[in-house]
Amino acid sequence: YAFRSLHLINDRKVQEVKGPDDKPVKNSDHYGALIHHLSLVRNKRCLMAYVYNRAEVIRSLRWVVENVLPEDIANKLSDAEKDYFKNHSATLQSYIADLDLGLTVDMVPPKDPYIKVRVLDEIGNVALSNQFTNLARHAILFLRRTDAEPYISQGLMEELTS
Amino acid sequence: VGLFVRMAKYYDIDDILAEDELVPAIFKVAANEVGLIDSSDDTNKVESGSKVELPFWLASELHLRQAVSVGFPRCFNKRTQEEIKADAAHVDLRNRCPYFYELGCKIVLLTGDKSIGPVLLVAFMTRYKEVLIKAHTTSLTVAPKSLTLLTNEEAKLYEAARSSTAAMKKWRMGGPRLQKASVLGRKRKPVE
Repeated sequence: YAFRSLHLINDRKVQEVKGPDDKPVKNSDHYGALIHHLSLVRNKRCLMAYVYNRAEVIRSLRWVVENVLPEDIANKLSDAEKDYFKNHSATLQSYIADLDLGLTVDMVPPKDPYIKVRVLDEIGNVALSNQFTNLARHAILFLRRTDAEPYISQGLMEELTS
Repeated sequence: VGLFVRMAKYYDIDDILAEDELVPAIFKVAANEVGLIDSSDDTNKVESGSKVELPFWLASELHLRQAVSVGFPRCFNKRTQEEIKADAAHVDLRNRCPYFYELGCKIVLLTGDKSIGPVLLVAFMTRYKEVLIKAHTTSLTVAPKSLTLLTNEEAKLYEAARSSTAAMKKWRMGGPRLQKASVLGRKRKPVE
């Protein structure tokens, strides 16, 4: 809204410099106004690019964190951005449901249906695809790859290879 | 086609930053109420004939409207050209202008100057070779001093080469393939 009022002030200035036969005269007021106008457009571009690039990051988050935003990210987003995430997530979910294919798993080509993991953060009791497990901190477990993948993605578990 | 290219870069952060670089410009007209641009006197205006340094985004628009004429930034002067001819790989381009190539290309498009193109090409070819060699041979933990000489674009190429070398090594040696997502990156302490 501040933008629009700055634009209006600038426009009025440009109108003032019209000559006798109503054609705009390119005098020093005109160029001054032009420079102000270009500065406004530049600022707008910077702001737009900022919002746009943030939106791109938010979209990519959905492939990592499923539906729920981790708290330390959520409190850095504006309300509009949080809505954006929710809507994007829902759209993606309905697409996945239509395809009947889990798109957000196996982001790395799988070698083995089970992998060995170490739990990094205390997660507690969860229902995995074939069992109830207590994901206690420091526990070393054999889990189904597809179950472990979202936790590893969020840094809550790490894969062990030895 | 020109319009398409410009629109495609509208949101590109590197393009925005590159256009913030200063270039010298001579005003062909006078402009009121923009005294910030020319702080050599106290009036709030710029006189025709004043020599100033403007950010490229402003200079190029004014140049297209024939309000200023844009000259070459210091990073393309004779001295730099000599240094590039002598030993391109070790010229500290980052210090002169971190957006050396991008700016050079834009200025050529704006002024139609033909002398800069070959300089950019020579510099890039020599330096790119160095960048690739260093990226593949240095160990993963040591950052060579020459990194500080690289422009923005070169640094990106270096990172890309490094990360693909690292990926290659990892693939050969095996190791955990599932990783924490880079989007979740480093934790920053919240500002109190």
